[in-house]
Amino acid sequence: MNMHDTEDMPPDVDYDEDEPSFSDPEDFVDDIDDEELLGDLLREKPQEADGIDSVIVVDNVPQVGPERLEKLKNVIHKIFSKFGKITNEFYPEGPDGSTKGYIFLEYGAPTQALDAVKNADGYKLDKQHTFRVNVFTDFDKYMNICDEWETPEKQPFKDFGNMRHWMEDPDCRDQYSVIYESGERTAIFNNDPKDPIVAEERARWTETYVRWSPKGTYLATFHQRGIALWGGEKFKQIQRFSHQGVSLIDFSPCERYVVTFSPLMDTKEDPQAIIIWDILTGQKKRGFHCESSAHWPIFKWSHDGKFFARMTQDTLSIYETPSMGLLDKKSLKISGIKDFSWSPGDNIIAFWVPEDKDIPARVTLMQLPSRQEIRVRNLFNVVDCKLHWQRQGDYLCVKVDRTPKGTQGVVTNFEIFRMREKQVPVDVVEMKGDPESKNAFAWEPNGSKFAVLHGESPRINASFYHVKNNGKIELIKMFDKQQANSIFWSPQGQFMVLAGLRSMNGALAFVDTSDCTMMNIAEHYMASDVEWDPTGRYVVTSVSWWSHKVDNAYWLWTFQGRLLQKNNKDRFCQLLWRPRPPTLLPLDAIKAIKKDLKKYSKIFEQKDRLSQSKASKELVDKRRSMMEDYRRYREAALLQHQEQKAARLELRGGVDTDELDSNIDDWEEETIEFFINEEIIPLGE
Amino acid sequence: MKPILLQGHERSITQIKYNREGDLLFTVAKDTVANVWYSVNGERLGTYNGHTGAVWCVDCDWDTKNVLTGSADNSCRLWDCETGKQLAMLNTSSAVRTCGFDFSGNIIMFSTDKQMGYQCYLNYFDLRDPQQIEDNQPYLTVPCAESKITSAVWGPLGEFVIAGHENGEINQFSAKSGEILKKVKEHSKQINDIQTSVDLTMVITASKDCSSKLFDSTTLDHIKTFKTERPVNSAAISPIMDHVVMGGGQEAMEVTTTSTRIGKFEARFFHAAYEEEFGRVKGHFGPINCVAFHPDGKSYSSGGEDGYTRIHYFDPQYFDFELEA
Repeated sequence: MNMHDTEDMPPDVDYDEDEPSFSDPEDFVDDIDDEELLGDLLREKPQEADGIDSVIVVDNVPQVGPERLEKLKNVIHKIFSKFGKITNEFYPEGPDGSTKGYIFLEYGAPTQALDAVKNADGYKLDKQHTFRVNVFTDFDKYMNICDEWETPEKQPFKDFGNMRHWMEDPDCRDQYSVIYESGERTAIFNNDPKDPIVAEERARWTETYVRWSPKGTYLATFHQRGIALWGGEKFKQIQRFSHQGVSLIDFSPCERYVVTFSPLMDTKEDPQAIIIWDILTGQKKRGFHCESSAHWPIFKWSHDGKFFARMTQDTLSIYETPSMGLLDKKSLKISGIKDFSWSPGDNIIAFWVPEDKDIPARVTLMQLPSRQEIRVRNLFNVVDCKLHWQRQGDYLCVKVDRTPKGTQGVVTNFEIFRMREKQVPVDVVEMKGDPESKNAFAWEPNGSKFAVLHGESPRINASFYHVKNNGKIELIKMFDKQQANSIFWSPQGQFMVLAGLRSMNGALAFVDTSDCTMMNIAEHYMASDVEWDPTGRYVVTSVSWWSHKVDNAYWLWTFQGRLLQKNNKDRFCQLLWRPRPPTLLPLDAIKAIKKDLKKYSKIFEQKDRLSQSKASKELVDKRRSMMEDYRRYREAALLQHQEQKAARLELRGGVDTDELDSNIDDWEEETIEFFINEEIIPLGE
Repeated sequence: MKPILLQGHERSITQIKYNREGDLLFTVAKDTVANVWYSVNGERLGTYNGHTGAVWCVDCDWDTKNVLTGSADNSCRLWDCETGKQLAMLNTSSAVRTCGFDFSGNIIMFSTDKQMGYQCYLNYFDLRDPQQIEDNQPYLTVPCAESKITSAVWGPLGEFVIAGHENGEINQFSAKSGEILKKVKEHSKQINDIQTSVDLTMVITASKDCSSKLFDSTTLDHIKTFKTERPVNSAAISPIMDHVVMGGGQEAMEVTTTSTRIGKFEARFFHAAYEEEFGRVKGHFGPINCVAFHPDGKSYSSGGEDGYTRIHYFDPQYFDFELEA
């Protein structure tokens, strides 16, 4: 296709001669090639059919003699014309006149050929013949594989040091990250009950906020271009993932993968909204579309990182690692699916489907990868359901809001599934009292209790239940008129904090659930967050600058509610404890330590006392030296003051005013009576 | 300690000051009123009436003869302390923010705000020359082009004025020539208040940058810093103990965002040498605008945004208290 060079148009008589000429100058060389100008059109230019791309080879075709060839061709036609118009066919014949057993078919377009391969490969014609279908060009490709094996370039091993370095702190201090100065500075502290000790502090380490990986190995920071992972003793940069405009991330529980989300990068051909990365190699494993990030994380991981799943309209898609492909190559069609959740202890998914005409709503427990439904529970007149798994996966609680037949109000039940018992029996707890809209529910980690907040402010009640082995669920205790909207269990169980955050002004109640006593009631005014340390020894309450612009600080408490520290930080934003990896000690070693606890306590207490007295000695020394300096200054100042006495006397006409009692002789004594009280005593009869 | 509550103002207190002997406490407020009270029992002695705008500052001379007030009605007025009679009125082009008598009581200084096109000026009048008062002609006027003066006190011998500025600077202005003898910048935000120690050797500054600092009056050496988490409105040095008291709060706009519990606004006591806080006194219903120690150090007073002034007599434990050292 040629373009004419621009020619000078014949002069237009009606045109004004002074118009500038729009022709190219004489020696102009066109330096834009056709590809640039019409690239997209050229791509669509009809190609001369060279045939190879639309040809498929079908193997395992029955070998027939000439008398049955016509019939064979009809059968093949019927099967293969589904994918497109067959323009050409070739049935090679052997020396004996029967077909060789493989044939060539040509379609009108390469896409049709691909379609045929995808769908007809593996087609069972009869017991002895299962078609194998391939594109002809593949043969070429596989034949031309280079015989020389080129060893891939060896990547130098990047030694980041001991990635678990923080776990080796001899005093077992946990670390936590603090973002302050409205995000300008991020610091990592070692938690010491006296004062936090800085481990690392950097300016502009992250652009928005930070996240720890689930076992505490990595710290993830956010940047416009992607996220970065840091770790090791010196928090060196371990890995970088480029994802423009990333706003949310999620880690797999095993720390092998990280999922990033960016609202910017999605195109139809190349789904880039959600990307799953392999952390150790830094490779992009797979990209996905995502319409909205409203319910992050979109992909939910199984506890061992073997599977991840997401829910879309009427569909549950389960993928397996490391292939990142759909389990069994297809998604599950579950009409109306509303929500799902993995068990934190086993590869079981719980999901629920609302009522559909005559079919009641139901909750289903599905085992993976078998996809066997191990339990189904029908529910009637359901308005909404929420799934709450216990930390070890021992129990599942489904909070069901229902409108019982014939009533207007909403009633809430808790359906407790006992996962460890045969056939997963379900017990129901009815919430008595006022129907509630927003309330909190939380399982005890490592235990079999749960706590519920219900009721409307100011009459909010906190109820504690125990799921007993004998099939009963017992209400242990109910505290009424609580100022609480959130429940925070200690990660080790037994202890918890009931908190009234934000609008409830930071009311705190520390509870020991072994006997349901309130250990302490306190307040951190306008607290916005509560975070337990991973060992369950300390609790941090904080007022984040993101929710409240004044008094930004984080306070450290013991698990019993004793306030240890108040740490004010200019424009404090967020504190996150560094998680600990699961313990390496076997159960009997733990039992042995618990038995010898008294011995260990003695040693630790001695250590604590020593460090405390050292601290007070340091403080005392510091004060002493400050006082000495101050005294020295005052003496010098007073000396100068004395020297100026003459000047002072002159300024005040000889009156000495240096001391209040300098002029005792001038003092007058005055007696003043003050009215104090009046008492009326009637004189008796 | 049970405080004596002085209720004599309808709007927030702007400054309080004891006379040299401590028997009188002067309070001025935004309600145009200047009051004087007996500090021993809180009985009001009288009122100085005349100002038509908020009264920003007050001072009393060493002999308790004259009282000086400065107001937003663009005047600085001299009063007879005992009778309440207005002795002189000096008109200015903008609000009078700070004022004071020198050590001898003969020279007064006051500063005017940067307002309505007028610069900030520091004015000096000699009271021994009645012509100056009559003609409203200060013998010395010092313009402050850069940052306006927000608080000022006289130096120990009346030779200079120590002024705190809106940008956190502190300057010594000579009372003879008006030139700047010394300057320091230790604070990052506005100086809300400067007060002297009773022997005039030290000054303490209270700043919006949430800290208070102790300086030597003559050399302006920075000696101590006291840190808090709220802007400090006023600070004072104890005459007999190594203590300082600070009062503050937050911007009036932000008041509702912090704890609204009654009486939560506190005066805070710091050890002057250790820079550590050792006590707080609650009671005000709003930010504290001004604090002052009684010259004998046995009591202190605070004036608040709530319009109340509270006089506190210390318990015996206060004088025995010691931080471990």
